[in-house]
Amino acid sequence: MQITTTIRTLSGGLTLSGQKIVEPILKTENLWKLYHAGKVEVPALRGVNFEVLPGESVAVMGPSGCGKSSLLYVIGGLAQASRGRVLVDGNDLSAMSDGERTKLRRHKIGFVFQRFNLLPTMTAKGNIAIAQFIHGDGFDPHRFDVVTKMLGLEGRLHHKPSEMSGGEQQRVAIARAIINEPKILLADEPTGNLDTNNSDIVLEMLRRLNKDLGQTIVMITHNPEATTYFDRVVHMRDGVIVDGVPAD
Amino acid sequence: MMAELIFRNLFHRPLRTLIGVLAVAVEVALVVLIVGLTSGLLTETAKRIEGIGADIMLQSPSAQIFLAFSGSPMPIKIGNKLAELKYVQSVAPALLQFNSTGGIDVIYGIDRESFRAVSGGFVFLEGRDMEGPDDLLVDDWAAKAKNLKVGDTYNLLNHDWHVAAIIEHGKGARLFVPLATLQDLVGAHDKASIFLLKCTRPEHTEDVMEQMRQTFPGYPVRPLKDFLSLMTSTNIPGLQAFINAMIALAVSIGLLVIFLTMYTTVIERTRDIGVLKSLGAGRAFIVRALLTESAVLCIFGIFAGVGLSYLVRAAFLVGYPTLSILITPEWILRAGGIALAGAIFGTSYPAWLASRKDAVEALSYD
Repeated sequence: MQITTTIRTLSGGLTLSGQKIVEPILKTENLWKLYHAGKVEVPALRGVNFEVLPGESVAVMGPSGCGKSSLLYVIGGLAQASRGRVLVDGNDLSAMSDGERTKLRRHKIGFVFQRFNLLPTMTAKGNIAIAQFIHGDGFDPHRFDVVTKMLGLEGRLHHKPSEMSGGEQQRVAIARAIINEPKILLADEPTGNLDTNNSDIVLEMLRRLNKDLGQTIVMITHNPEATTYFDRVVHMRDGVIVDGVPAD
Repeated sequence: MMAELIFRNLFHRPLRTLIGVLAVAVEVALVVLIVGLTSGLLTETAKRIEGIGADIMLQSPSAQIFLAFSGSPMPIKIGNKLAELKYVQSVAPALLQFNSTGGIDVIYGIDRESFRAVSGGFVFLEGRDMEGPDDLLVDDWAAKAKNLKVGDTYNLLNHDWHVAAIIEHGKGARLFVPLATLQDLVGAHDKASIFLLKCTRPEHTEDVMEQMRQTFPGYPVRPLKDFLSLMTSTNIPGLQAFINAMIALAVSIGLLVIFLTMYTTVIERTRDIGVLKSLGAGRAFIVRALLTESAVLCIFGIFAGVGLSYLVRAAFLVGYPTLSILITPEWILRAGGIALAGAIFGTSYPAWLASRKDAVEALSYD
């Protein structure tokens, strides 16, 4: 596959540009995920083949129950695939133990959820810093300042989630997800709990992360308007990718 | 960062944390106070017996070292035989009577002259020595506790006594009455519970004890200078078992409350655990966070427990001035260690449960 890539550092400087063969940073091969309801197997994913290139932003759309979230959890290493392969930056998640997937998640994946999922007892600063702590490199004040400034959180760092608006909470969640410079940012309907104005702000930030910093993003959404912020839209239906065919 | 996470979690639910701290505090205080009460009682009793000033004590074969439990009087004629032994300067019989009316007391029925010869006599703070058959000597602690003064009438063993003197504490008992009157009251004519001996020289104590063992085989012969070391919980039948049972009960209370506290914490933080897992926190991180949180809660509880112990002791001493509760650093540390081990044990299952939670299920928990 031959494409043009542009990779920039967090500070925004161009470091490499030109023609280059690029391997997908995320790839699934015949990916199945089965859930068990008693003795009945319920397939959430039924042979998904999917690729994301470094620096690409992809929106995954589809009706409720089509397997979008399952796909996100499996490619993020939160859930184990039932069959098939998931390759993240060359690492086969399906062959990894729970501990190994945890380690990979720690270093290569960032999550943003619909319900923000901030730790309610911690301040915004604590919610972001704990990701650095878990990552293992300790608190990096420079990186912290750059990220929080970029997301416009400077004045809200000492507030708890209960003291912030939904949009602010989601920006904290994004800051937490990208603070360790993950290879892939996975967002599960990040605007699902936001009003239009805040949705636009969050989507614009995700777009900037992708365009300015080269952050690879896979986002699940119900909102067709949200897909306009992304390079590519993938549609899902009944646990499979129906690329190029609108699912709704 | 871990410290911030733990402290913020602890202060997020202050009432629950407070209950956990109180449970540990009660656990620690129970251990410290039960041990303190028993060891205080034993030590104080032993010191008082040592303080009599005699060299040796003879008890009946079935008697126990804890004199309050000794209800085995011996013929008073034994005293004559003891007096005939070589190096014996004086012998004093005493009849001991346990009384639980109006407080818990051990009353010594003594013969004034022989007791004085053995002990060197009382230090009179007020009043005079016993002269009449109904005279009662009360030590200063008991006088304070019972609000007695010289000249008062005090009913004891269903008998009215005349308080003849307030004496300095530390001579065996807190209440002394004439031997003959007590013998009549309890129906133990010509009987004594113990015999106290004074040797001509302290270095003859061993010789006299040896003679006593030969003359009265099977009778416990105890040197009073070592009485303190003999008065341990292991020498009192059933006492150690009682202490152990009380400690086990206290630990169980602490352990169950900590278990419940941490279990509800884990349930409540299911989503947070899912979040931590999504951030890449491993099982060890989750377990460590919960165990540390429990340990911190427990340490607060230990400090509170030590404070509570001193508070309860102070309250007890106001109500019961003769009570002795010995709080030692050794047992504070032991109680703290027991509480900490219990807290860690009580948290281990909830922590394990948390570490095993499915991240996806945890993230969708409401």
